[in-house]
Amino acid sequence: MGALEVQPVGVIMLSIEDLFVVAVVWGVVIVFSWFFSKYLFTVFTGGKSRLDKFFKPIENFIYTLSGIESTKNMGWKEYFKALFYLNVAQTVIALFILMFQANLPLNPMHYQGMSWSLAFNTVLSFSSNTNLQHYNGETTLSYLSQMSAIQFLQFTSAATGLAAGVAILRGFAGKARTIGNFYFDYVRSLTRVLLPLTFITTLVLIALGIPQSLGGYTLIPTLQKDAYEILYRGPIASLVSIMQLGTNGGGYFGANSAYPLQNPSQVTDFLELGMMMFIPTATLFMFGRMVGDNREGRTLFLAAYAIYGIDLIIAFLPKVHTGRGLEVGYGGAASVFWTVTTTAFTTGSVNASLAAFNPVVIFTGFIGMLIQGAPGGEGIGAMYLIMYVIVTIFLVGLMAGRTPEYLGIKIEGRDVKLAVMAFLTHPIIILVPTVLAFAIGAEKAAGLTTNSIGFTQIFYEFTSSAANNGSDFLGASGNTIFFNVTTGIVMWLGRYLPMLFMLAIADSVAVRKRTPSQGLKTGNISFVVILVVSIFILTVLTFFPFLVLGPILQFLEGFKTSFGGVIFAL
Amino acid sequence: MPSDTNAIVENKLHWSSIIIDSLKRLNPWVLKSNVVMFITELTFFIVLLMAIDPTLIPIVSSGREQMFYSEVALILIITVWFSTLSDSIAEAQIRNTASSLRKMKEQMTAKRLLSSNRSNFETVHSDDLRKGDLILVDHGDKVPIDSEVLEGIAMVDESLLTGESANVRKSVGSTLLGGSLVTTDSLVARVSTNPDETYVSKLIGIVESSSRPKTPNEIALTILIAGFSAIFTIIVVSLLFLGVELRLGIDLAVVIALYVCLLPTTIGALLPAIGISGINRMSVKRIIAKSGKAIEASGDTDALLLDKTGTITKGMRKAVRFVPSGNHTEREVGEAALLSSWEDDTPEGKSIVELAYNLGFVPHQFGSIERSEFEEFSAATRRSSVKMTDTHEFLLPKGGRGILQRKRLRRKFASGDEPQQELEIVKGAPDAIIDYVKIKPPGYDETLEKISEDGATVMAVAEVGDVIGFIKLKDEVKPGVREKIKALKEMDIEVVMVTGDQPTTAGFISKDVGIDDYIAKARPETKYEFVKEEQKRGKIVSMIGDGTNDAPALSAADVGLAMASGTEPAKEAANMVDLESNPSKIMDVIMLGKQILMTRGTVTTFSIANDIAKYFVIVPIMFAALPELGALNLMHLTPHLAVISALIFNAIIIPALIPLALRGNTFKPSSTMKIFLKNVTIYGLGGIVLPFIGIKLIAILITVLRVTI
Repeated sequence: MGALEVQPVGVIMLSIEDLFVVAVVWGVVIVFSWFFSKYLFTVFTGGKSRLDKFFKPIENFIYTLSGIESTKNMGWKEYFKALFYLNVAQTVIALFILMFQANLPLNPMHYQGMSWSLAFNTVLSFSSNTNLQHYNGETTLSYLSQMSAIQFLQFTSAATGLAAGVAILRGFAGKARTIGNFYFDYVRSLTRVLLPLTFITTLVLIALGIPQSLGGYTLIPTLQKDAYEILYRGPIASLVSIMQLGTNGGGYFGANSAYPLQNPSQVTDFLELGMMMFIPTATLFMFGRMVGDNREGRTLFLAAYAIYGIDLIIAFLPKVHTGRGLEVGYGGAASVFWTVTTTAFTTGSVNASLAAFNPVVIFTGFIGMLIQGAPGGEGIGAMYLIMYVIVTIFLVGLMAGRTPEYLGIKIEGRDVKLAVMAFLTHPIIILVPTVLAFAIGAEKAAGLTTNSIGFTQIFYEFTSSAANNGSDFLGASGNTIFFNVTTGIVMWLGRYLPMLFMLAIADSVAVRKRTPSQGLKTGNISFVVILVVSIFILTVLTFFPFLVLGPILQFLEGFKTSFGGVIFAL
Repeated sequence: MPSDTNAIVENKLHWSSIIIDSLKRLNPWVLKSNVVMFITELTFFIVLLMAIDPTLIPIVSSGREQMFYSEVALILIITVWFSTLSDSIAEAQIRNTASSLRKMKEQMTAKRLLSSNRSNFETVHSDDLRKGDLILVDHGDKVPIDSEVLEGIAMVDESLLTGESANVRKSVGSTLLGGSLVTTDSLVARVSTNPDETYVSKLIGIVESSSRPKTPNEIALTILIAGFSAIFTIIVVSLLFLGVELRLGIDLAVVIALYVCLLPTTIGALLPAIGISGINRMSVKRIIAKSGKAIEASGDTDALLLDKTGTITKGMRKAVRFVPSGNHTEREVGEAALLSSWEDDTPEGKSIVELAYNLGFVPHQFGSIERSEFEEFSAATRRSSVKMTDTHEFLLPKGGRGILQRKRLRRKFASGDEPQQELEIVKGAPDAIIDYVKIKPPGYDETLEKISEDGATVMAVAEVGDVIGFIKLKDEVKPGVREKIKALKEMDIEVVMVTGDQPTTAGFISKDVGIDDYIAKARPETKYEFVKEEQKRGKIVSMIGDGTNDAPALSAADVGLAMASGTEPAKEAANMVDLESNPSKIMDVIMLGKQILMTRGTVTTFSIANDIAKYFVIVPIMFAALPELGALNLMHLTPHLAVISALIFNAIIIPALIPLALRGNTFKPSSTMKIFLKNVTIYGLGGIVLPFIGIKLIAILITVLRVTI
């Protein structure tokens, strides 16, 4: 999204009030997602439900129409192939819509088609659940594009992520002795989870004042004489719903949820915040139900929320001025809360411009995206948590004097190899293009400086892409061929490679023998502490020097310099 | 390999040859199997090049820093050398152990018959026997090799081989197991197999061989180490490029120092030594593991199957009590038992005499024992007896003898036509005695049951056709077994006892030593069934065995420890062999397995945890163009001092941990989770904190010694 040019100087301080707000949002989300996890469990284990009467015919219709067999168990290769090919097909369709929107209906604003590189970047971005936007939606996309390319991919990518996550959790839980069937997981994610929830939240958001219309943009007079402002109407409420519920994060507007029509009040602000936390949190609880031991789900939940909580505390610590540009419509604390949450859940929607934040807040944003499992995006967050559990257990578990075990599964060489590969993907796809960008001077082409700020912005761009987050500093200024192509590739590698590796592990552990009395117990607080420390250490070890060159250096420089090399006095 | 001639020198380590060997291992070609050390050596060559001519690598090196580069290069190569040194020490240790194992190889002699005459035999070494040879096995002899009985009936103690504590009766056609003990009579048998002379030597050869396949955990750990190395490689290369692109003023030697400090050099250096020393410690205990995998699996044991006889109990029954029957007294029974056992040389007989003597049950007619006629225990009758021809002493009852006894004696002499000059005492298995006396006294079975309910064996004693009482015999629990079983249970290992005994006996013994679960009345296939059943439930099962019957179970079990005295098929099937044939050692094997895994884990965790401090030491001074980073310089070290101190710490931690790697972690048996949390605190938390202190101390030392760098 683009930087919002507002000028007031805000002060961020953690007050009792802010803590109260955080506690209320957390409390409501945790309680609701705990109950929702029961529903998710029924949906994905194929348990009987009263809703079957309604959903079964719809799903059967879809299966019959597409000639899909939804009951056959798949191996990891088969599962991934089905997932990947479907995603490729959807992406190609969206690409054509974006490039040829000028010739397609529902374009009352007569917008031109996107350039190939921007369209390429946009479809890879939305299909990978990243929603990095190198454009301003309200001035670039037709209604058809917003609905059938953007919202469409927001639904499918969320369903894909949820399906893959559920398959991996199912494999680890081991009760089903398989990772399941992709079509079953994917279709049910849509029909029973995403569509109904989006339907409900859309109605609520409309009631709270967010437009949902195909009536075209209109001019409205302002208090100033002869001055008019464009009222961007469109199918906004539904897009905001799926963008938050599906941890997508790509808004209707370039300014995202900092724009009043996407986020008109504090009530919508907290509602949208809660929406992005909802499904990832419920997925963690669902894992416990799948294992048949709620403590295992609790471990992942506590570890994820502990990291998220530590992030929040760090972000709230600095009692310094934030510089320019901070959107104060929702209050400084609400903006920080949102920014930390949107990176922790790798959603990427924003309610304030990143450029204006204290480097410490940006630092916590990095932490959320570099970890990706705190609690992470739709389905995928849980997957990363499992990856960390495997690496952690293997790293420290030998100290118990037994071959490291998770849920009674002995961790073998192949598991370690695949988990390490999944872990390695991230630093490679972030660091290599970052170095490449500076090598060819791409930062200058995007109007950035070659200092710690410029470094932070480019490092953030690729981190956000790799983590499938989508928040960024560049916004429309990132619309250069270099950034469109590189981030596009990074987004897909960051999306599908770890998924492939983790599916492979899950498939092999699904049928593996399990020791009933495992030596290392993971369902307790001591393990949560070890897991959290280990995740921090693994992340810090991997990215410390780069965080030092970016936000940490910025912080140490006293936050003196700002965009364009202008010295900004405090 | 050390020669066999000089035994004393062998037991010491040749430090000169170890150092030469470790230097030879610095050859990059030899080193390439150890990724981390190979990379470290590679960086040494780069820095060496910079020290020789800084202009060869422009931009990131400076001509004024040649001295510094030389120092870095020196520390780098010493780091690698410390690693090869640990390998050399471990290898030297294991060679020493192997050669001492060769010497203790058990020697057994055999009596080979030269003709069908039993007295015409020569004593030969058991390895010299060939299939078809006839051998004589007298009572008290060990059966030298598997063979088939041709002549005679005897009781044979196979408890060490099959785990059944009751002696087995062997007659013509029965199979004798090598290693079993003939307790009565003597047998002529035909050797049914050729001794495999080279078997133990072959096993020792495995121990010595330097080509040990990596164990599953070693493989996984190697992958993890390679993964970390890959991550740090990406980081350092990216930093190098960024440093150049953004003109941050970096020096290649400093970047390399950061790289080597971050690489898991500690675990990379010590991983091979930990594995070798594990096999060595096993061998020192006279246990030869055919693969490292088995040692590892033993650490993972979930269920342990223990034979009662030989493992939990000594397999030797001792008399513990005399129980009178009817209206007889304990003293009568004791005295009769003593008389009947005087000539009995079996451990049981001796223990009866000992017990009677200790209780003061010495009969008066003891003096006439010389004139008695003793009939040894035989497998055919299952009883032994003593006949005393001159029993006049009995007619002179003295003080202390009860009325009952006098009555009995009177009765004895009143009955029958002939004057009863003889006193015959028979003792043996209760049913055999009933067969002998023909009349079962009332309450016989009840008394018997009552005595044996706590797992004891009972012998009946009869005097002239009248059952006067019983001798209660009990098998002794081996010393230390209770503690070991307690330790195993604390570590969440399920211990199961298997025995051919009756359930009551088995139940009592297992309760006595603290085992919850037992299998009584075990059949030969019981062990195999148990192993399979437990494995089906995902458990790792360990067991011991040595009879041929055990072979299927041994090969099915995850850890099978065979006795060197056992049969060949058992040894072939097992993955470990105990040269001392002490089955209780299986418990030590489990501890050793855990220790090896633990040592690997602690060094790995420690190695990775160390990296945090190293980041904080090197990163702040890495970018000359960014003085602002000085705020992160928690240790307040100047650039050169920081790099050198961190590198020295990184190198020195390797020899500091060599003793740990060779000796293994010591740990108190407790639950897996407790051990884990304790180690996490020591090696994880300690690993984070220690380098901060260590590096600072090294820096202070360098400053104090005024070494210019």
